[in-house]
Amino acid sequence: MSDQVKSEPFILNIGPQHPSTHGVFRVKVKVDGERILDAEMVMGYLHRSIEKLAEERTYTQNIPFTDRTDYLASMSNNLGYVLAVEKLAGIDVPERGQAIRVIMAELQRLASHCMAVGAFANDTGAWQTPVMWTFREREKILDIFEMTSGARLTCNYMRIGGVAFDLRPEFEPMVRKILADFPPFIEQLEDMLSGNEIFRARSIGVGVLSPEMATNSSLSGPVLRSAGIAWDIRKADPYSGYEKYDFQIAVGYNGDCYDRFIVRLEEMRQSCKIIRQALDGLPGGPHSTQVPLALRPPAGEAYARVEGPRGELGYYVVSDEGPTPYRFHIRPPSFINLSALREITIGSTVADAIVILGSIDIVVGEIDR
Amino acid sequence: MTRQISGAELAAASERLVPGSVAKTTEWTCFLKPETLRETVAALRLDPEMDLVHLTNLCGADYWDHFEVVYHIQSFDKNHIATLKVEAWDREKPSVQSLVPVYHGAWMQENEAYDLFGIVFEGHPKPYRILLWEGFPGWPLRKDFLSMPGGLQPGLNEFSGVARRIAPPVSVVE
Repeated sequence: MSDQVKSEPFILNIGPQHPSTHGVFRVKVKVDGERILDAEMVMGYLHRSIEKLAEERTYTQNIPFTDRTDYLASMSNNLGYVLAVEKLAGIDVPERGQAIRVIMAELQRLASHCMAVGAFANDTGAWQTPVMWTFREREKILDIFEMTSGARLTCNYMRIGGVAFDLRPEFEPMVRKILADFPPFIEQLEDMLSGNEIFRARSIGVGVLSPEMATNSSLSGPVLRSAGIAWDIRKADPYSGYEKYDFQIAVGYNGDCYDRFIVRLEEMRQSCKIIRQALDGLPGGPHSTQVPLALRPPAGEAYARVEGPRGELGYYVVSDEGPTPYRFHIRPPSFINLSALREITIGSTVADAIVILGSIDIVVGEIDR
Repeated sequence: MTRQISGAELAAASERLVPGSVAKTTEWTCFLKPETLRETVAALRLDPEMDLVHLTNLCGADYWDHFEVVYHIQSFDKNHIATLKVEAWDREKPSVQSLVPVYHGAWMQENEAYDLFGIVFEGHPKPYRILLWEGFPGWPLRKDFLSMPGGLQPGLNEFSGVARRIAPPVSVVE
């Protein structure tokens, strides 16, 4: 812009009811022309105070609440919570229960990344086709969840000491079919998007995060790994027997939106690999141990975390020997991954800000809790 | 496996870096003194032995007579995690030093603790109620929220008015 032409900064409101904010999330951006000078996030439209509600309910009754935080990854949320309570109470899970948990968590990662990649492609302008493709595949996984647990999204499947039900006989053939279908589908999706000129122009070099900034901003999950830091809780702090499976951490180099997309695709491939190994070596025996319904863990605290689809999903539970948790805190990866949003959107255009927000892959139910 | 650093090891490292910075230790936790919190954590972050670079989790907790702020900080290279705590004893106006100058990731999590517990983080560049709206009565995650002046009551509005007093449990008061 030449020096003669002056424009005045003004505030532009994006959301809360806007398809590209992925829920009821609002960003107030201060723009000068197309350039963003400042961004302010406004959240809390979905706040239900789950942490307070959980203090009034028993440990088992709290499991359905964890479904409702990140409703696109309920299995991972269930898993994180029951791991924290098991750590607190010192409960061991049978081998079969652990393997079923791993299969479910990885299927959930596939389903969630399908949603993330589809919605991200939608944000970059690949209108509806990729999102319909990924939804088609995701629906098959949700069918399996419905068959096993009774619900598509809010599964409520994990229990303290194992899982709620054993697998049905139809489970294995259905998962084998998904494992056969998924890798070609990922190839197809990658061919369609990563070679697309518009997609590349919209995502390469947009929203670049340096490794230092990603670390200092407490980011986790694909957003952190896209910046070149190979940190995956499944490798670094294995839970539920992840140390037995052979898989690799997907890492990006540039920390831009395109790398986040590529990291997610690679994670989907690795998830297929883990599911195949877990299914091949699925042990027999009980799927759960007997745990008293009114569980009273010894006084103390536990912080357990899992690698959810969006990042490190932690649960901090404090017990005072009562039947309900004394303090229940969720470490929400979507919420904390927004820490760097303001810094990486400043200087970009409004259209790029939408792409950056899509690449972070937020779920507003988890941000607001 | 990520190694959980024991309280004694954390206390030794904190005392080595900033003398007189440890209030007390338990088996897996180190309680830092509030006056030197930021200085100690900044030193632990830069120390090559501890290398606590990633503030994973920050949350508050209410224990009736005092508040605790819990920090889970980890190192990628060393693959260990530390649990640090700091206590705030002033019930009317609890305040703790802000860690935003050390970790940018504390920005939103401290605002959340301020929003739900009313813990003021001194030195936070922009404290505001991140989830609730300004003017919301009381601090919802405090244990005595229902008996706070102007606090909301359970149920519909017509049933409000009579405050349900909650007495602190006997076991906590020493």
